[in-house]
Amino acid sequence: MSEDKNPANLLNSPTNRRRALMLGAATASAIVSVRPALAQSAASIVNCDIPVPGPHGTGMNIDSYGKLVPRDTPGSFPATGQKFTGEQVKAALRGRSLPGTSADQSQAYVNYIRRLQSGQSGFTCYASLQMSR
Amino acid sequence: MHEFRVQVGPAAFRIGSQWKRPLDQLAELYRDYPVPAIPDYSVRLESVSLLRRFVRPSVSINGDYMLPDAAPLPLAQGLLAAEMAMNLQMALGWRRHLLLHASAVEKDGRALIMTGQSGSGKSTLAAMLGHRGWRFMGDEFVLVDLDTGAAVPFPRLISLKNEAIGAMMATALDGRFGPMIQSTPKGDIRHLVPPADAIAAMSRPARPALLLFPSFGFDPAFREVGPSEVFMRLTQASTNYVTLGEKGFSALTRFVQTVPARAIDYRDGIEAEDLVNRLWAECT
Amino acid sequence: MTASPSTKYKAEPADQILVAPLDSLTLVYQRRSGITHIVAEPAPEILAIMGADALTVEEVAQRLAAQYDFDGTQAKDIITERLNELADLGLVERCHA
Repeated sequence: MSEDKNPANLLNSPTNRRRALMLGAATASAIVSVRPALAQSAASIVNCDIPVPGPHGTGMNIDSYGKLVPRDTPGSFPATGQKFTGEQVKAALRGRSLPGTSADQSQAYVNYIRRLQSGQSGFTCYASLQMSR
Repeated sequence: MHEFRVQVGPAAFRIGSQWKRPLDQLAELYRDYPVPAIPDYSVRLESVSLLRRFVRPSVSINGDYMLPDAAPLPLAQGLLAAEMAMNLQMALGWRRHLLLHASAVEKDGRALIMTGQSGSGKSTLAAMLGHRGWRFMGDEFVLVDLDTGAAVPFPRLISLKNEAIGAMMATALDGRFGPMIQSTPKGDIRHLVPPADAIAAMSRPARPALLLFPSFGFDPAFREVGPSEVFMRLTQASTNYVTLGEKGFSALTRFVQTVPARAIDYRDGIEAEDLVNRLWAECT
Repeated sequence: MTASPSTKYKAEPADQILVAPLDSLTLVYQRRSGITHIVAEPAPEILAIMGADALTVEEVAQRLAAQYDFDGTQAKDIITERLNELADLGLVERCHA
């Protein structure tokens, strides 16, 4: 993109055009550290939350594969944005049901969490869990 | 002490055993592989202690020492123990490349790499593709050159489980299979010798062109996986990332920045192959 | 050490770390420890802006404001939190003024 040298655009000159910085992001900046030790690294694993579903899924249900589906989809599970802690999800990944859910519902929720992508709420928390050995 | 030697990709193994039968079995399955003069690793079948990740617990290795009058290990168990022991040497000791717990196949000088947890289907997919137009590079480890980023073959015997055994026996009609090993905690296991072209090309690297995270047992679907997620997952899939220090960091960073990645869901080989072909065409 | 407005923070020297920005996260490899830190905005921006200087929170905030656009309310509290996090990771050290 070439510089616009039109005098009318002085107010948009590069020195005044600053990049936005997400200073007040809701989660911590330190996501996880990969270190040559056996012990768990980050406190962020214990303290972080994963909402099911995240804001991008508000008003939708979750099917057994963990996908967001319309509310009236048969066989799907309602979800209210309930937050689960990293510890609860870690236990669920090992087979224990998420608190307050039936076995099938828990499995659906776990599949939803597994499908989270970068940028979706709870992704970095889930990714930190993936780091645990 | 009986001895068996085999070269697999860049690694040379020597396996010793008091019993001849397990080694005869290994020698038969690895008969087309080069025999190295100088081993990188020596393995003794009867005195290995294995990391839990690589042990199928049904193989009982009786302590660190074998008693002279102990009953011989069944042939099948000896084979499994040898394969696991070789895995362990690589996982713990290999420093010449970045090690990824993954499978790989090659086409036109480019590598398709598949990684995931047990049950994701990465071994079976590599086995299938290796018999359907691709060159098999490995089903357990992918070795990434620390300087060039190339994927280096490590084509050991392919380890098939349960339904995959029948599926591959139907696919690889001329395939040479090891004995059926039944009733391990993971079910039945059977080894398949890689196709001749894979063995012949075991020194030929390929440029990684696509990384897949397969999930077996779901409706066919795929999604893009971003570099930071790929990085996190691959540090988990690498047994030597941390020990390699700065070189590991540079190699893995370059990998995630240059290799596109997709997560794929599939229910059978046909759906998997379809997704693979589509994504390969899209990304290469 | 309780942080006061005069507490100064100093980042790990640039030749001691390798930084690789990815999509939404940044990798920071620390040579002396061999640890790979995966950090999110604004941590890498804060590290970069500090350069080799020992700075107070106020000074870090000023430098950030000159280069970036952000909501100034509670900025100092947030920046203090981020700096403490980086100190816990070992990427920043706290020194007395």
